[in-house]
Amino acid sequence: MADLAEKLSPLHELAMPRSGSDKVILSERLCDSLVQVQAWPDSVGEVEKQIKQTRGKRNVMPTGPGRWLIDDQSEGLEEKLRKKIGAELGAVTGLTHARVVVSISGEKATWVLASGIALDFDVTAFPIGTTQMSHHHEIGLTIYRVGENSFDLYVFTSLVRSFWHWIEKASAEIGYSVI
Amino acid sequence: MRLTCPYCGPRDHQEFTYRGDASAVRPVLDNTSIDDHNAYIYDRTNPDGLHRELWNHTSGCRTHIIVERNTITHDVVSCEPVGPFAEQLK
Ligand SMILES: [Zn+2]
Repeated sequence: MADLAEKLSPLHELAMPRSGSDKVILSERLCDSLVQVQAWPDSVGEVEKQIKQTRGKRNVMPTGPGRWLIDDQSEGLEEKLRKKIGAELGAVTGLTHARVVVSISGEKATWVLASGIALDFDVTAFPIGTTQMSHHHEIGLTIYRVGENSFDLYVFTSLVRSFWHWIEKASAEIGYSVI
Repeated sequence: MRLTCPYCGPRDHQEFTYRGDASAVRPVLDNTSIDDHNAYIYDRTNPDGLHRELWNHTSGCRTHIIVERNTITHDVVSCEPVGPFAEQLK
């Protein structure tokens, strides 16, 4: 893939750091590499093996049958995976510029999310280190549970300003800070 | 109404997109009968009672499922996976 211009956050001024309550802490993050891999029905095991063998500091999130979303803390994962996973094994799609990670933590983080997303956020139904897909008012979300009160939400870049407006308003009742 | 996705579990139906009557069978491609193609596109029985229908988990894993649902009571009788990964999801 050709080099794209420097990554810019669509949130800009919206997510500027500001102090406030630590009951809800919001932040944004742009991925170094975010790649979706879709295996064919008969190549799931082989694709999983190839993903494991590609070194890096990463989070591999299952997002569907034979499908993973991989958030890697180094650039160039798409090219690395493309070399190992050809069209006979599956499809590799670069999503680095297509998602913004909105992180929410703090003792009221789960309460805020549950106020707008129809998912069971109890830790027994949504354990730490697992991924769930859902939406908020038709904005699709991939939600990774980092800790009991800590989540990374992968939001479409073109819709993240709208989502950020909601999450700020939903947090305002409790008080929040942005880091 | 809640639908149970075979991959994601029970979810609000708003996460899904209705994809039509699951009992409609597309005519084979070399069937040139206008009536058969017209029937496939437009003719629906609109039953009161059990209905088999296709839904896609759009805001989830994007798997297609066949939902058997009572059109009077909205009781969902079953949700079965379809498509290339159906066997692995059963
Ligand atoms: Zn699903």
